[in-house]
Amino acid sequence: MTRTVILIACGLIAGPILGGLFSGMDRILTARMQSRIGPPLLQPFYDVAKLLFKESLVVNVWQVFCAYCYIAASSIALVLFFLQSDLLLILFVQAVGAVMLVVGALSSTSPYSHIGAHRELLQILSYEPLLVLVVVGFYLETGSFKLTSIYAWREPLLLKLPFLFIVLGYVLTIKLRKSPFDLSTCHHAHQEIVKGLLTDYSGPFLALTEIAHWFEIVLLLGFCTLFWATNWFGMAILIVATYFLEVLVDNTTSRMNWRWMLSYVWGVGLTLSLVNLIWLRQG
Amino acid sequence: MDMRAVLIALLVLAPLVGAILCTILRTQAVRSAIVLATGAILMVSAALLIPLTPFKLSLASVFGLDLHRIVQVADFILLLIILYYGFKHRHLVIIALGLFQVAMLVTLEFFLVSGPTAYERINCDYLSLMMVLIISIVGSIICYQAIPYMREHEHHYHVPHSRQPRFFFVMLLFLGAMNGLVLFNDLTFIYFFFEVTTLCSFLLIGHDRTTIATQNALRALWMNSAGGAAFVLGMIAVYRETGSLELQNILLPGLASSGVYLLALALLCVAAFIKSAQFPFQSWLLGAMVAPTPVSALLHSSTMVKVGVYLVLRLAPGFAGTFLSQTVAVFGAFSFLAGAALAVGQSNGKKVLAYSTISNLGLIFACAGINTGESMIAAMLLLMFHAVIKALLFLSVGAIEQRIASRDIEDMRGLYAVMPVTALITVTGVVMMIMPPFGVLLSKWMAMEAAARNLYVIIMIALASALTVMYWARWAGTLMSDPFAGRFRPERQPVLTWLALGPLCAGGAVLSVVAPWLYLWLIKPVLSGSYTATYTLTAGVLENAYGTFAILPLCVVALLGLVVAVVALKRAFTSKVVPAYMSGIQTSEPFMFLGPMNQPVKAEARNYYLDSIFGEKRLTDWVNLGGGILLTLIVGGAL
Repeated sequence: MTRTVILIACGLIAGPILGGLFSGMDRILTARMQSRIGPPLLQPFYDVAKLLFKESLVVNVWQVFCAYCYIAASSIALVLFFLQSDLLLILFVQAVGAVMLVVGALSSTSPYSHIGAHRELLQILSYEPLLVLVVVGFYLETGSFKLTSIYAWREPLLLKLPFLFIVLGYVLTIKLRKSPFDLSTCHHAHQEIVKGLLTDYSGPFLALTEIAHWFEIVLLLGFCTLFWATNWFGMAILIVATYFLEVLVDNTTSRMNWRWMLSYVWGVGLTLSLVNLIWLRQG
Repeated sequence: MDMRAVLIALLVLAPLVGAILCTILRTQAVRSAIVLATGAILMVSAALLIPLTPFKLSLASVFGLDLHRIVQVADFILLLIILYYGFKHRHLVIIALGLFQVAMLVTLEFFLVSGPTAYERINCDYLSLMMVLIISIVGSIICYQAIPYMREHEHHYHVPHSRQPRFFFVMLLFLGAMNGLVLFNDLTFIYFFFEVTTLCSFLLIGHDRTTIATQNALRALWMNSAGGAAFVLGMIAVYRETGSLELQNILLPGLASSGVYLLALALLCVAAFIKSAQFPFQSWLLGAMVAPTPVSALLHSSTMVKVGVYLVLRLAPGFAGTFLSQTVAVFGAFSFLAGAALAVGQSNGKKVLAYSTISNLGLIFACAGINTGESMIAAMLLLMFHAVIKALLFLSVGAIEQRIASRDIEDMRGLYAVMPVTALITVTGVVMMIMPPFGVLLSKWMAMEAAARNLYVIIMIALASALTVMYWARWAGTLMSDPFAGRFRPERQPVLTWLALGPLCAGGAVLSVVAPWLYLWLIKPVLSGSYTATYTLTAGVLENAYGTFAILPLCVVALLGLVVAVVALKRAFTSKVVPAYMSGIQTSEPFMFLGPMNQPVKAEARNYYLDSIFGEKRLTDWVNLGGGILLTLIVGGAL
């Protein structure tokens, strides 16, 4: 019982702190790649704190509801991950947050948030099946959807699921809103649809979506650790290497359109998943 | 007299009596009373059936008449009525299929079958009980809502002589036939009720008597007659192989090795697919939406299309472990995917609902084809939750359509400002279709975990569930969109409409919370013999060897999240309201910005329907081809 409470608390605290630190590091790394010095590591926390104390302005009250649902869902998903629950269940709860964010954006009539919302739906459409197939890969190898069994697996799963790890990389690029898939909204100030999906979220509510996004970042990096769950060192290397690669991809590619994204991600992702799954099935 | 026989008689015959009374007593008030009373009798009888289940009854005769003889006569009368409509509309296919069925039925009844066929005519197990509860409760609720709906409908279309007596006659008859279909064990009886539902749906779809309604009704009739023909052929083949027409007897293990036996089951499956409007037979169900909305609600949720899934769930133990089972799984998953893809391309709300029905039924068929304990549980849960929530959504769209005179999703933009309660109920329905901790998602989760070893099936399910999220999320967002409604002012609706929408909405939520116990009480006992159900229940958490679904904890946490969000929502009402962002050039009027020459321009945004990818024109032919190929595999592979 106490263990459960501690794990829940860990999930709730680790989410925003680690997530914020990761995005701070992301900004520094990005700046260095662009020959800038960049902001301090804690800048994301300053930004969010500033937003939280702004006056609350709303376009449609339902957006507020949706922002709260988004943060609720993404924090619950991370807590479930810490409690080592069922992987598919975590995936579904995480999807609730993603969908609520879209519903909130759709409830505004601004063309910017509208287009952003639809692009976000297409992004969800692109990555969700792949995420399910990655989880299916875990199941085929370990015989379970439960995180307890997957973490207890004796060998690093990366050796058996290399292609599925690449697939997870695609998912990660979309989820972290990195180029070439940063269609719906973007961290950088070069989006043709202003802030897209997030255009009409403002002040404290924008801060909520940012914190919820940190929870998502940590959850996704948690997914990465599953591929080398046998020791802490492996997990750390995998996370750092993956995140560095994400930032590198973000800075070396340019944004494409959704048609390309859907056909490319489905084409490459489904093929790689299929190959790896058949391999597991026969192996 | 035996209490069980009385209840069966009430469930099957009370609607018939009510139906006849509706046609005799032709005043509005009396008719409403009759419909309300019939619904009440059905619900009470279904509830009383709960403690008596499971049981079997022989029920050889009624009032000294041989029951088998009665159904035989009724069967031929029914086929004659269908033939009459075939001749009346000069529809050659219907005539040919009708004559074929008469000939086959004569062959079966008079030349093949010798002696009494079934000793236990009635088999009320937990699957039957679940169906009876769905039919009697959800079906009755739909009939209730039809009372105010049809009054408004006839008022709107200026119908000179009310045709409501006929309408309610068929609606009630439909419920009785459905109850009969799920309670009887004898295939000849099931065939009879199967044909009654075909005829009822024909009459209901054609109710408005417009050219398009008649045309679509005829299409439904010929397609379902083809299903009936497949059913008769299947019966003949089953009888030749097993010497029995009793459902419980023909599913004994050890029969699956025979080719003719599998062919028989395949034919019965084809009949089921047609009833459930699977690809390539979807057009009759899509055409059915010309009918008044309660008809669609009835066809889609508790009757008609559920006949197909019920039959396949019944037959599944008979083909476990065969090629037939595998092809049914792939066929179902294909339908799930194709239905979801086509739904994405639609802006017509009723069509989205129709494709979503086809899609969800596909998933149920896929589960039946996977044919393990877990997948059967998923199928039954999905069947139940889909019935409740689809009824809710159809009735909501019906109520919306009568108010805004459109069923297009684009016209429902900002519905919250016009009819807040209905909009909220609809959004709740949508949320219950796609989100945890609700029942549809629970069953989808079970289906995914059960299908994970079947690569074709799991890939199609993964793609389809992403598409499903897309079309539902889009709709929910549109309903809650601007303009900002300053104050919450509930709209006025007939009491019976609220009495239909409220309980269905609450029912969907409550059933989701009690799903684990529902599983223990209702679903688990269905799985006997070859299936093993391995879920254990501890503190509201369903768990098996490879998966955990924390239903109750998740419900509690979700409720907490909801409370926080609602409190935030209430506080947001006091926040300053600002217009949506328009690059800083918005005018004082909402949705307007300053265009060229400083002229105000209205900003408009519409949903993506991705017609070039998911449009009907683009996909339908391919999907029909795919469905046709898989059907050929199902029938041909059985040989």
